[in-house]
Amino acid sequence: MSHYELLLTHIGTILHLQYLIPLVAGTAIGVIGGALPGVTITMTVIMVLPFTFGLDPLQGLAAMTGVYVGGSAGGSITASLLGIPGTPSAVATTFDGFPMARKGEPGRAVWVGVWSALLGGVLGGICLIELTGPFASIALVFGPWEFFSLFVFALSMVAGLVGKSVTKGLLSGAIGLVVTVVGPDPILGVQRLTMGLNFLEGGLPFLPVLIGVFAFAQLMPDVEQIRPTGQDHASVAPKRMSLQVSMLGTLWEVLSRPFLLVWSTLVGVLIGVLPAIGGSAANIMAYDQAKKFSRRPEKFGTGIPEGIIASESSNNANVAGSLMMIMAFGIPGDAVTAVMMGALTIHGIQPGPLFITQHPGVAYGIYAAYIVALPLMVLVIWLGARFWLRIIMMPKAILIPIVLVLCVIGAYALSNTMNDVYVLALFCVIGYAMVKGRIPLAPLILGVVLGDQIESNLIRALATDPDPWLFFTRPISGGLIAASVISVIFAMWQHSREAKRAAAGPEEEEDTDF
Amino acid sequence: MTLGRDGIAGLICLAISIWLLVLTRGLPPALMVPIGPAVYPRVVIGIMALLSAIMIVNDLLTSRAAAPAAPAASRAEPGARPNYLLVLATFVAFGVYVLLLPYLGFRIATFLFVAVLQVILDRPRSWQRWLLVVAVAFGTTLACHVIFEDYLSVLLPRGDWSGV
Repeated sequence: MSHYELLLTHIGTILHLQYLIPLVAGTAIGVIGGALPGVTITMTVIMVLPFTFGLDPLQGLAAMTGVYVGGSAGGSITASLLGIPGTPSAVATTFDGFPMARKGEPGRAVWVGVWSALLGGVLGGICLIELTGPFASIALVFGPWEFFSLFVFALSMVAGLVGKSVTKGLLSGAIGLVVTVVGPDPILGVQRLTMGLNFLEGGLPFLPVLIGVFAFAQLMPDVEQIRPTGQDHASVAPKRMSLQVSMLGTLWEVLSRPFLLVWSTLVGVLIGVLPAIGGSAANIMAYDQAKKFSRRPEKFGTGIPEGIIASESSNNANVAGSLMMIMAFGIPGDAVTAVMMGALTIHGIQPGPLFITQHPGVAYGIYAAYIVALPLMVLVIWLGARFWLRIIMMPKAILIPIVLVLCVIGAYALSNTMNDVYVLALFCVIGYAMVKGRIPLAPLILGVVLGDQIESNLIRALATDPDPWLFFTRPISGGLIAASVISVIFAMWQHSREAKRAAAGPEEEEDTDF
Repeated sequence: MTLGRDGIAGLICLAISIWLLVLTRGLPPALMVPIGPAVYPRVVIGIMALLSAIMIVNDLLTSRAAAPAAPAASRAEPGARPNYLLVLATFVAFGVYVLLLPYLGFRIATFLFVAVLQVILDRPRSWQRWLLVVAVAFGTTLACHVIFEDYLSVLLPRGDWSGV
C-alpha cells in the first residue's frame, strides 16, 4: 500500500466515531484553552492528559492532536479581540489583530487569523507527511555515538536559544539531566541519589515532573496579578462584539498573499523542527520576516492582514514541525509534544526512528488526526463565534482550582499511587522557583526527556568500543558535537550583543512557555 | 557587594549540587560495563555545580558594574507589585490538598480544595457568589468522578479515614 493510500485509509479510520469524538472534543478544548488568557496549549494538553489514560493510544493521541491544533488557532481569538495573546504563540497576532479589531473589524481580524492557521497547518501537514519518513531513515543509520551527540546537540541548542542567559539555559538543562539520574541506573539497577526514600526508587517519572514544572509556573504569575477588586482583562473587555464578516473575503485575503503564506509556513516548520523552541518563537520570527520582506513595513502594527497571516500560519505550521521531530527522532519539538511523548510511552510506544515502521497505525493515525483537526478547528471557531467573549472572560478563581485538580488526577492516574502526586507537588515548587529565578523551563524538560537516552547511549557506545575519541572522530557524531559547541558560542555572542543593545532599556519578564 | 536574584539562585543550585555529589560517594564501581553507576551522575552534577558557580560570579560582576546606576533602577509602581500572599496561600491550599487526599479520599478532598481555593482567590461578597463557589466545587468533583471512574475506568484515591 502506498504512502498516500495508507494516509487515506487512516483518515477513514479517524472519521469513525470512536476516534472522531476525542478529536472533536480535543479540538474544542484546545480552542477554548488557547483562547483563555494565561492558559497555554501546554497547560491545556496537560489537563486533557488524564482523560486519555482510559483510551486506546490513537484515541488519546487524536484528542491531544486536536488540542494542539485547536490551541494554536484559539490563541489568536483573544489576541485579536482583547489585545492579550491567549497563548505565547499568538503574541505577534496582537500586533495587527488588535488594531484591526479596534478599527471596527474584529470579525476580519479573527477570520484572517483562522484561515491563515488552516492554510499554514495544511502546508505544514504536507511537510510532516513527506519529510518525517526521510528524517527517520537518516536516524536509522545512527549508532549510539550519533544518538548521544544528537541529544547533546538538541540540549545545547535549546539551552542557548531559550531565555536571556546562556548560563541559565545550560543550568536548566543540567537540572533536567540530574532529575533523570535519581533512581535505578540503566544497566545494573543500582539505586542512586534516592536518600533512602522509597518513592524515589523508581526514579522521578517524567509526566508528574513535567506537569508539576508547568502547572504552578504558568498559573502562579496569574495569581500574583489578582487584586482584591477582582479587576482583570474581563473588566476591560467589550461587552458585545460582532464577528460577522465575509468568510470568502477573508479567505481570499490570505490566498492572495501566497509568498507570505508559504514563507511564514516554512519558518514555522523550521522552528518546530528545532527542539523545544515552540510556537512562541515561530510567530515572532515569521512576523519579523514578513515585515522585512514587505513593501510597506511601516504599516505593520497598524492592523494590516499581513501581520496576522505571518503569525498565525507559522504558528500552526510549527505544530507539524514539532510532530515531525518526535516521530522521526523521539525529540519533542515543544512541551506539547513532550506530553504526547509521555502519553505514548505510557502505552508502551517509544517514539523515534523505528516508530513509523513499528507502529504504522499510530503514526499514520497522527497524520490523519492532524489533517482532520484543521477543518474541525475552523468549524469549532465558527460555531462558537457567539460565545468566545464570554468564554475568555471566565474568572481565574474558578479556572485555577479546576486545572490543579486535573493536574493531580493526571499524576495519580499514571500508576494509581500517591508517590507521583508527591513528585508533582515537589516540582510545582521547583517550577515556580525557576520562574522567579528567571531560569527557562524548556531546557529542563528536554533534559528530563533525553537524560536517560543520553546515559544509555553513552554506556552502549563505550561498551561497544571503549575509545571515547570515537564521539569526535565519527563524522556525524563529531559534526553534531562541533555544532553543539558552535551553537553555545553563537548564543553567547548573540546574548552579549543583545545585552549591550538593551543596556539602557527596561528588563522584560522571561517567557515561561516551553 | 550583595547577591542578586541570579546569585541566590546560583547559590541554591550550587548547594544542591554539592550535596548530591556527596550522595554519589557510596555508589559501587564499574561492573561489566566501562563506566559505573556513579560516573554519569557525577558528570552531570559537576556540570550543574560549575554553571551555578558561573551564575554567582556573573551576578557579583553585574551587581558591581550596576551599583552606581542603582537609584534609577527602582521604577516599579507600588500598585503593580505581585501578590505573593495569594501565591503562598495557593501553595498552602494545594499542599494541604495533596497531604489530605489519601486520608479524605478524592471526592471529599477535591470538593473542599476547589471551594477553599475559590474563596482564597476571590472572596465571595454575596450569597449568589457563595452558591456559585459550592456549585463549582460540587460540579468539578462530580464531573471528575463520573468521567474518570465511571466512564474512563481511571481509579481515583480512596480515603483511609473516610472510606470513600
